[in-house]
Amino acid sequence: MPEGTVALKVARYRPERAPTPYFDDFEIPYRDDMVVLDALNYIKDDVDGSLTYRWSCRMGVCGSCGMMVNGEPRLTCAVFLRDFRPGPVVVEPLRYFPVIRDLVVDISQFLEKLKLVKPWILRDEEKPVSEGEYLQTPEEVEAYKQFSMCINCMLCYAACPVFGLDDDFIGPAAIALAHRYNLDSRDQGRAERRAIIGVEWGAWDCTFVGECSVACPKHVDPAVAIQRTKLDLATAALKSVLWPFGGSR
Amino acid sequence: MRTEERQRTPVFVRKVRRFWWLDTVPFRRFVLRELTSVFVAVYSVILLLFLLALSRGREAYEGFLRWLDLPGIVVLHVVILAAVLYHTVTSIQLASQIQEVRLGGKVLPRTFLAAGLAAGWVVASAVVAYLHVWR
Repeated sequence: MPEGTVALKVARYRPERAPTPYFDDFEIPYRDDMVVLDALNYIKDDVDGSLTYRWSCRMGVCGSCGMMVNGEPRLTCAVFLRDFRPGPVVVEPLRYFPVIRDLVVDISQFLEKLKLVKPWILRDEEKPVSEGEYLQTPEEVEAYKQFSMCINCMLCYAACPVFGLDDDFIGPAAIALAHRYNLDSRDQGRAERRAIIGVEWGAWDCTFVGECSVACPKHVDPAVAIQRTKLDLATAALKSVLWPFGGSR
Repeated sequence: MRTEERQRTPVFVRKVRRFWWLDTVPFRRFVLRELTSVFVAVYSVILLLFLLALSRGREAYEGFLRWLDLPGIVVLHVVILAAVLYHTVTSIQLASQIQEVRLGGKVLPRTFLAAGLAAGWVVASAVVAYLHVWR
């Protein structure tokens, strides 16, 4: 069901050809049900096979097709071209990240930050497998579920000017993930994670712009996770001074 | 974990421009809120100066009142009022986003806390107004 064409302006970075990024213009056949990722796939298959970008599931789960679409961080598999017609639809790599090639950004520091917050269940002492699982009530699952929906798409980082100004900032997704484990009834690592995220480039770097939560396609609300983390850090610091035996938990 | 140590692949690093906060409406709104903090601080200083004048006796106190009546200072107070109102309203919005209020195991809607904070603010302002104007 072809219905005319749509114009795209796609950012390119090919260090062997030009030292800085530039834009290429494309005019491609348009269908009403096309998303931005479909357009990129059309360009790669039929117009310019050298266009480089990441994608995988095409259903808003894998989190790999995040790019800037008309200046906003979006999953390109979840943005319809019809919302931007007649265009041009401007597609750029995720803001604030170093660009490797065309629309592909360097995510290595993000992966380091994820690992940094120890996003797994920490126990003072593991109970033997023979004693069975760590059970949870539906209410205990509900307490952290929202913060566990993150797909690591990094749109929240591209929405965060604090990360843009200080790339050492641990950032929204990683702090929300730490918060998710802190809220888990099976976890005992809250004090350990406080030492990791209670630093200048951790939760305290956040100025609550709030755009990370607007950008999040999974409604994780990392901005709230960070502010609650600050509250927890401040309460713990106060307890450690005021309470006779400290307040490490 | 500094940037220089991290990077193994040659990459292009885009610089954030100085006026990044003018780029989008939410950024502009955020910076406006941050700037209103300055006016909150300025008013705190004026209150401290008021107490200082009060502690120095009648003459200093009356001099301070005359200073408050200067047209420029009246205009400053109007600007401070507008800024503090914006700061208060956005503070209530943000606080109601962050704080979860539970009642009988259920999470209350965000508007509940916002309404509670707004009501507290109105009551406190009414008490202050009563003490100043009608007594």
